[in-house]
Amino acid sequence: MTATDIAETEERPAAPDAGPRPAELLRPYGGGFAAIVVLQVIGAVAGLAPLLAVAELGRTLLATGPIDRGHAWAAVAAGAAGLFVRLLCTSGSSFFGHLLDARVQLSFRRRLAARLGRAPIGWLSHRRTGELTKVVGADVSAVHPFIAHTPGELVSAFVVPLVSLAYLFAIDWRLTLITLVPVLLAVALVPLMMTPARLREQKRFDEAMGGISDAAIEYVQGIAVVKAFGGGERAHRRFVAAADGFADIFSRMVRGLAPLGAAMQVALSPPFVLLAVLTGGTALITNGSLAPTDLLPFLLLGLGLTAPVAALGHGFDDIQAARRAVGRIRDVLAVRALPEPAHPVVPQGHRVELRDVRFGYEPGHEVLRGIDLVLEPGTVTAIVGPSGSGKSTLVRLLPRFFDPTHGSVVLGGADLREIGTRDLYRTVSFVFQDVRLLRASVADNIALAAPHADRDAITKAARLAHIHERILELPRGYDTVLGREAGLSGGEAQRLSIARALLTGTPVLVLDEATAFADPLTEQAVRQALTAAKGDRTILVIAHRLETIADADTVVMLADGAIAERGAPADLLARNGRFAAFWRSIATRGDELR
Amino acid sequence: MIPLLLRVLGHEYARPVRRTVALMTATAVVEGLSCALLVPVLRELFGDSPADARPWLVAFGAAVAVYAVLRYISDLSGFRSAVSLLHGMYHRLGDHLARLPIGWYGPDRVGEVSVLAGQGVLQALSVIAHLLAPSVSAVATPLTIVAVMLAFNWQMGLAALIAVPAVAAIQIWTGRLMAASDTEPGERDREATGRVIEYLQAQPVLRAGGRTAERFDLLDDALRDVERASRRTVLAAVPGALGLALAVQTAFTGLLILGAHLALGGGIGAAELLATLVLAARCADPLLSLSEIGGRLRSTRSELARLDALLRTEPLPEPADPVRPRHHGLEFDSVAFRHGDRTVIDGLSFSLPEGRRLAIVGPSGAGKSTLLQLLARFHDVDEGAVRIGGVDVRDMSTEDLMARIAIVFQDVYLFDDTIEENVRLGRPGATPAEVRAAATAAGLDEVIERLPTGWATEVGEGGAALSGGERQRVSIARALMKDAPIVLLDEVTSALDPLNEAAVHNGIERLMAGRTVVVVTHRLGTTRHADRIIYLDRGRILEQGNHDELLRHAGRYADYWNVSLTGASAAETPRP
Repeated sequence: MTATDIAETEERPAAPDAGPRPAELLRPYGGGFAAIVVLQVIGAVAGLAPLLAVAELGRTLLATGPIDRGHAWAAVAAGAAGLFVRLLCTSGSSFFGHLLDARVQLSFRRRLAARLGRAPIGWLSHRRTGELTKVVGADVSAVHPFIAHTPGELVSAFVVPLVSLAYLFAIDWRLTLITLVPVLLAVALVPLMMTPARLREQKRFDEAMGGISDAAIEYVQGIAVVKAFGGGERAHRRFVAAADGFADIFSRMVRGLAPLGAAMQVALSPPFVLLAVLTGGTALITNGSLAPTDLLPFLLLGLGLTAPVAALGHGFDDIQAARRAVGRIRDVLAVRALPEPAHPVVPQGHRVELRDVRFGYEPGHEVLRGIDLVLEPGTVTAIVGPSGSGKSTLVRLLPRFFDPTHGSVVLGGADLREIGTRDLYRTVSFVFQDVRLLRASVADNIALAAPHADRDAITKAARLAHIHERILELPRGYDTVLGREAGLSGGEAQRLSIARALLTGTPVLVLDEATAFADPLTEQAVRQALTAAKGDRTILVIAHRLETIADADTVVMLADGAIAERGAPADLLARNGRFAAFWRSIATRGDELR
Repeated sequence: MIPLLLRVLGHEYARPVRRTVALMTATAVVEGLSCALLVPVLRELFGDSPADARPWLVAFGAAVAVYAVLRYISDLSGFRSAVSLLHGMYHRLGDHLARLPIGWYGPDRVGEVSVLAGQGVLQALSVIAHLLAPSVSAVATPLTIVAVMLAFNWQMGLAALIAVPAVAAIQIWTGRLMAASDTEPGERDREATGRVIEYLQAQPVLRAGGRTAERFDLLDDALRDVERASRRTVLAAVPGALGLALAVQTAFTGLLILGAHLALGGGIGAAELLATLVLAARCADPLLSLSEIGGRLRSTRSELARLDALLRTEPLPEPADPVRPRHHGLEFDSVAFRHGDRTVIDGLSFSLPEGRRLAIVGPSGAGKSTLLQLLARFHDVDEGAVRIGGVDVRDMSTEDLMARIAIVFQDVYLFDDTIEENVRLGRPGATPAEVRAAATAAGLDEVIERLPTGWATEVGEGGAALSGGERQRVSIARALMKDAPIVLLDEVTSALDPLNEAAVHNGIERLMAGRTVVVVTHRLGTTRHADRIIYLDRGRILEQGNHDELLRHAGRYADYWNVSLTGASAAETPRP
């Protein structure tokens, strides 16, 4: 939810919903997480055994007097056993962690998809496809370290040092503090990596990455234009600009982080740890306050002390990225759907009324300015008007893509906002100009809005829409997968979407420029099919063709978001107003045609 | 891995990459060698005069300082080459995508290319920025330490050396084992990405069908496949990871036992043994991390392989000696073009003199749009030749060809930028006055006056913020800006309502004046003024001639014409 989303905010006066916290999202998997963490901790602690075994072996060997062979071999055995336990536990933890990760990711993606499927179309249309695709895809994947690695590593990073430190403290507290120096140095560097400037860079980095994704989608979709206008081989400059911007931000981020990263790695590296312990140890041994053999556990455990911290630091970038990804996931999950009614009303009949409907995509810029309109069952209402007069917006209120900002749309006596989604879509279907065919079989594409239709019904709808013959010519007829095995031309896609609407058989049908692409023969046939299917239906159509306008029962002339004229086409012509002028301007073109 | 990386990146980057690898190796070796100083320090400390350890400690400190400097330099070098690679890579990808034939861009490609261009390139480069250093040091440091062990005690060194081939063999074996299952998650991810895009873009239709996410199987199946694939990968990784851990830990246990045995028999000094074991313990962790690094390297490798495949897809071949046509007459000479199994254009021949207008009509799916695309060489023909001014389009440079053609498409695609920038695309160097003039001619000026932010209005993704008629005017203005001698119009007005059609009509007339024009249309008004009409069906010419000839012929074209007439005359007299 961004601050720019003013229209959205206005729609819901309630306090902004921050979205579920990550912990809530993960709650159902609590048991699994606990098991992973326990295994990881047991493994990590068992990993100390071989180190202690070496120290113990050293003590035995360096002890004055005869060597206690039994003790030496016992130490070796204990070390080997510890290693084995560690092997089992850490492998098990990682294995279960990754399995759990896959399951959690699936559930995240399903929740996101479900939420996006209920988000207002208005909200979706303000978002870029690339940005949302990234949330469902890459962002969910980026949560991986949180699930598969971080919990175990985080806990071990505390438990292992605690156990080691307790042991070392018991031997010599001064050398323990010296051993801690590398770790403390590394930890001291962390805040430097999280200064506002650094965080800002990282945020910009993420944005730039989303920008590249958008530019790539746009580039591929607009490739025909790129080829025709892009000056031949030169790549579209927006794509390149997004890439250049990204490279800049990346290098700026790296310049800031590289010295810190290198310093951290050096501080945690074995040579540095050994150097610190040896320097301190030499001083203490030289002044006689430390037995040389007591140096050994510090050398060994000191190395073990930094490893978990190094592992954390190693995954630091990933964790940061994961946190930002979770933020974006929460933003999407926080989007409110168009509110569902608490007590859904079932529409009685299918008379449609628009009562003083006002609507604007942004506040202060109304597209519809007080529309009163009744659509009677069994009639065809044609909407005409210049481009930008609000025709497309008006028809999109019927399938409730948006709710009016003022007034109401009433279907069968009930406000659309009081009708359950299922009932609404069982009553209203539409054919809009932007036909989206899915990469699925032809039959599935036709039955998209009527999932349970059988093949006979699908074929019948296809025949009515005059696409049946063409479908039979496809490699596998109705089972041909569009976009993979075959493609359809614009007109064919248009006819397929008409078949889609005919199949649903809803009593209210909304058409937008539907027959425009089809060739004259098809167009005529489709018009006949629609008329035949008319019966008791309520039909609202954005009309382009004289024929459609002349055949309509009522014509509504829109101008600048308001109804300028309405009535039967013949009456309106006789009135000699705006519609008549409009009609003549088309008829002139018609004459030209003759 | 490195050769594949270099092939994808281009060999001009070989030198910085090699330098980075060399620096990282040097860093890892210095790290291992500095650890070797542990032996003399411990020997002195465990001996009679611990103070003698000091000079060795100073040497140790110096070695660590050298290591620190090397580490910083090699990290920086890694990042630097990653940045310059990133830069070069995107330019290379962008240029290449523009040269691929339009036919290559199926609906599957949008998801694929966006994933490749976003995550794919980044992942490929993270090899250098993040994975190269750990993998080099996970190999080079333990090897150095084994060498150090050999120098101090040959038995212990030899025992450690035995582990080397074992670890290497397991890594190679795991790599082979995983090769198959590693590519699968990537494929599933791409499939799912495509589905998500579809799901988002088809929201209006899906909602109408009551298809919420749970009930939209195409998406849910794709998401479930992603989960299944990643589960399979996890299962497949188990033997490799276990094997590696087992090998490393067995080696350490072996060293421990051998060391204890040697020490108890007096075959090795306590200081040497303990230093060796400390170093061996130090080796275990990076070696164990090899399995994780290996997994990440492999998944990057499959990403790289896809980038490589994309970059190796053949673009339309460029002629060695481009020919420039001297006029702009058009000719199709027995052209055949197939799309998969389907013959779209089937032995088509016609010619059109310079400055004439040709109208193509016919049912949808007849191959009309393809014909235009062949003229603009979006695809190459399978048989025959397409010629401009007598020159085969394949013998012209792409730049020259594109400069001579202006195209207005049926579905207008605008870039997510301002109206002005979209118009300017036709001629990037145009003056504001020229842009304004084209806009006026295309009827775009009245649209701009109506918009609150005028010329600076952002058109949204694909031009979504404008209506169909407004988008079409932008695209006509864009074509006018280009001022090319050949004009191709693809059902330009069919999606427009009558008022819009009338508005763009003048713009189109301006665009066509004095140029060679091919227009694909359903609106028969346009055909009457054409010098020549071709009625196309299933990729073949059924009828051709001018309007009057075709009407006299009383064939398919005449049918079309009559249907339009009846429609129009029915409209002339609205029902009472």
